[in-house]
Amino acid sequence: MRLPLLSALVVLAACGGTGPSRTLEYYFTYDPRSLDPAFSTDVPTGEVAALLFDTLTEFDADGRLVPGLATRWSVDATGRTYTFHLRADATFHDGRPVRAADVAASYRRVLDQSLLGGRPWPLFPILGARAFNAGEAREVAGIAVPDDSTIVLTLEEPLNIFPKLLAMPATAIVPTPVPEGFDQAPVGSGPWRFVSWSHDDAIVLARNPRWWGGAPAADSLRIRIIPEPLTQAAEYERGGLSVVEIPFGETRRWEARHGPELQRRPTIRDLYIAINTARGPLADVRVRRALNHAVDVGALLETVMAGRGARARGAIPPGIAGYDAARAPYAYDPALARRLLAEAGVRPGLALRLWRSQRPEYARIAQAVQQDLAQVGIQVEIVQRDASSARAAVRKGEADLFLTDWYADYPDPENFTFPLFHSRNAGTGGNYAFLKDPRVDSLAVRLRTTPDEAEKERLARETDARIFDLAPWIFLWHPVDLWAEHPRVTGWRIPAIFNGQRWTGVRILPEETPAR
Amino acid sequence: MTRFLAVRLGLLVPTLFGVLVVAFLLLYVAPGDPVLAMVGERADPETITRLRRELHLDEPLPAQFALYLKDVVRGDLGTSYVTRRPILTELLQRFPATLRLALAAMAVAATLGLAVGIQGAWRPGGLVDRAATLGAYLGVSFPVYWVGLVLILVFAVTLRWLPPSGSWGAVYLVLPAVTLGMRSIAVVARMTRAALQEALASDFVRTARAKGLGEARVVLRHGLPNALLPVITVLGLDFGSYLTGSILTETIFSWPGVGRYVLTAIEKRDLPAVQGSILFLSVVFVFVNLLTDLAYAKADPRVAHG
Repeated sequence: MRLPLLSALVVLAACGGTGPSRTLEYYFTYDPRSLDPAFSTDVPTGEVAALLFDTLTEFDADGRLVPGLATRWSVDATGRTYTFHLRADATFHDGRPVRAADVAASYRRVLDQSLLGGRPWPLFPILGARAFNAGEAREVAGIAVPDDSTIVLTLEEPLNIFPKLLAMPATAIVPTPVPEGFDQAPVGSGPWRFVSWSHDDAIVLARNPRWWGGAPAADSLRIRIIPEPLTQAAEYERGGLSVVEIPFGETRRWEARHGPELQRRPTIRDLYIAINTARGPLADVRVRRALNHAVDVGALLETVMAGRGARARGAIPPGIAGYDAARAPYAYDPALARRLLAEAGVRPGLALRLWRSQRPEYARIAQAVQQDLAQVGIQVEIVQRDASSARAAVRKGEADLFLTDWYADYPDPENFTFPLFHSRNAGTGGNYAFLKDPRVDSLAVRLRTTPDEAEKERLARETDARIFDLAPWIFLWHPVDLWAEHPRVTGWRIPAIFNGQRWTGVRILPEETPAR
Repeated sequence: MTRFLAVRLGLLVPTLFGVLVVAFLLLYVAPGDPVLAMVGERADPETITRLRRELHLDEPLPAQFALYLKDVVRGDLGTSYVTRRPILTELLQRFPATLRLALAAMAVAATLGLAVGIQGAWRPGGLVDRAATLGAYLGVSFPVYWVGLVLILVFAVTLRWLPPSGSWGAVYLVLPAVTLGMRSIAVVARMTRAALQEALASDFVRTARAKGLGEARVVLRHGLPNALLPVITVLGLDFGSYLTGSILTETIFSWPGVGRYVLTAIEKRDLPAVQGSILFLSVVFVFVNLLTDLAYAKADPRVAHG
């Protein structure tokens, strides 16, 4: 009789104050493809990799580049050779120290072509990386390890965003050699340790008490896989989720019922309609400007997105160097649009096909654009496909207009100007407008090579102004994220970039304290 | 009975080969690029070209089919483009969850459906019968998605009796099982009612009553077994479809089953995963149909000998 009582007391003591309630609950809408960071081609994989692993550099919640495994780094006068100095106190979850050789091996692994379907491109700027990836070289020429705590990376050509590329989850540092079954049960050095993964169900992580950045405040973090937004909301209402994202259509209801729990952050994301500048009358800049003047973007933003967006004044969003708050968006002016079309020799009845994927909010945007363009004599046919089919067609140049969006991989103006508008990226690379403008090309290249931050910002502004003037898109808006944080949870913020929230400062309030 | 079984099994081979061909071709007819889905939107063209070569996607269709057939015959459903894991392993990991949900839904459907149906046949036009008929019409008409969300709102959010999602114990099973079983409850109830009424009107039942048997014994012992045939068919078909097609229910309740896997595979253009799933689920479906036929033959010997 005494034994059960004793064990009950032990259990009670263990639970006292802290207890099982110190598990944070987060969710993804679909299962990550892998827990191996080399395969972080999708957002869930990238997000969970950022919890389990470290990178040389990192983004904080505001998207600023901060030290990660590297405490400091420098670039030489040529802008091609970067030297990273590693911290001495970092260890993998199995206790082994993180050394420069692990960094070199991790990078080689990501670039190794036998690792099919991974994400090697963030490391392609390194000298000899492409040759190694293509199987033409046995070593990556640009990687050198002078000692255990230093790694020297030489690039093909100067590239000022390089330290930001090393904050992407694909370049995370993994142990050498990687253990068997690594993609299902990973060993990293990040703030959270892997505990379990039940596919399409939940991933459980536990705090890493030895993390160099300070152990997480909570004991564990469970990431549920919940695809349906209404189910997410139901879980949140019952306290089953620490945070939840609010769908655009639910904005008003949540503002009314959960106001104090809500957080907003303008995203570094573009919602836009790419205009294929290589197709028929769309090659004429006057026609493209006319399209911009013909769409009532302000009204659309209010009705479809409940005002959750900042009008685009170019491709660079607020919060990114080069954003120009003084530039006025294209004004809604159907008369001007008709005049521009007439000047360009376009007769009423011009037929265009607008492609879109199946997202619910895209349907309403596409319909509104269709109506607005009909007012200026343009007949729009909406072509709806799943995302992958739509993109495949657009890459081949088959679409006149394409309603889509762009999430930044890293917060930098270069990530907007170069992939989206440089002629080298026409079609396949992300330049769905097929823009080929020598001036944009030259500005975009100078922007990514200049070592001078002030000069970079000036170039970003100039590039964006030129892009805005050429109107390769119907510029729509930069969406604003809206999340709720549960009253019993504190310390969570919407990250500016998907891998910028590592949950280390998030805590659950003890039962006895009043909720926020 | 043995001959019946042999014939039914022999028919499986051409059926499954047909499924294989259709599954293979379907995905090539569908638009979209699996390689893009695999490496993400921002992969460079060289990586895409190399990958397409290594996955044999640049070879002629018959050659691709031959490669595929060779693997399938050896029991290898291939490797997912997206997760890089063996597809059969991924399906088998998720199948127990789907089976659990299907069995629970079946239990709900059979119990409630039979109870309501028997009550209706026994006391036609009574209050229970009329309410059940109305309920059956509604149960058949409401879309699964709507039913699931309403159940979550009522029982998980408002009343807080049951969890809205997850799969960690019996309480988590209730809402998805009712959602999934809803349609069958209605169909089984209507089927049972009609068949039982017919049986109760037949001569042997009149004889049984004439011999002074109690009403419960007449209905359950003499009427019901003769009314069960169509009900078994319906339950069997529904069970097969639960095992293969509970995509909506699994999505609403975050149930980690095969349906979600198929949905993700389709969305991501994960060609081999979709093909493998179709094949796997076809085998399951055909197998359940076979079991249904056997149960049918057992319940009515004329089927096996006919």
